[in-house]
Amino acid sequence: MENIIIYVSLAALLVCGVLAVMLRSIIKDAICLAAASAALAIIMYTLGAPWAALFEVSVCAGLITVIFISGISLSHDTKAEVRREYDDKRRMGVLPVVLVVAGIVMIGAGAAIHFEMPVAQRLVQDFREVFWNSRQADIWGQIIVMLTGGTAISVLIKEEKKKS
Amino acid sequence: MNMEFAFLLAGVLLILAGCFCLIRTYHLLKIIIGMELSMKAVTLLFVIAGRINGNMELSQAFIITIIVIEVVITLVASGVALDLYKKYGNLDVRNLRNLRG
Repeated sequence: MENIIIYVSLAALLVCGVLAVMLRSIIKDAICLAAASAALAIIMYTLGAPWAALFEVSVCAGLITVIFISGISLSHDTKAEVRREYDDKRRMGVLPVVLVVAGIVMIGAGAAIHFEMPVAQRLVQDFREVFWNSRQADIWGQIIVMLTGGTAISVLIKEEKKKS
Repeated sequence: MNMEFAFLLAGVLLILAGCFCLIRTYHLLKIIIGMELSMKAVTLLFVIAGRINGNMELSQAFIITIIVIEVVITLVASGVALDLYKKYGNLDVRNLRNLRG
């Protein structure tokens, strides 16, 4: 049962991901990306990463979609304009062929070299200890990245005020 | 085909799709979506790496770092996209060439 959930979610992730870059409407792209995030969160939870799944659902499927939809609604390119200006249907039409060929090549290569990965015994550790004690440098890095992002956004907004 | 290989295949195909989008489109928001998709693929590969080496907790710590960086990049890129739209009236990245000094 667990394997079925994982394979179905993986297929959903792949399909939604490819649709997210192939569809012409940007709103549909953002929704497909959110669905891909949800599928990825299911995979994470099933494989034993519940904290990462929680972040994936709340931040990637929630917050990032809200950011995208706000951006889209503030910069309202019509569908006809997108079709005329960017011609994405023709430009992205080759993608399924590229993916199918790449998939066949990878499956063939995997079968030829008898590709098998050993799976190690599960190491039981406390996530909080790993995150807060072993990876402290990451936390400082995250804080710096967040402050940098906040500064960048405030600069963009300030510039906008100056213009108006 | 075992599960790890299926994950690896899906991850590589998603990275390929994201990079293809980065190369082929001129729409700035779509470029951000392509980049997001590639980052999702990297997250998927981190999950499977955690499963293979048996240390899922370390993988989760990395994934959370990736997600934070992803959000900040999306936020700043959307801000730049809005600025571009206000200046030129569309989201065509070819307009960014006009910023050359």
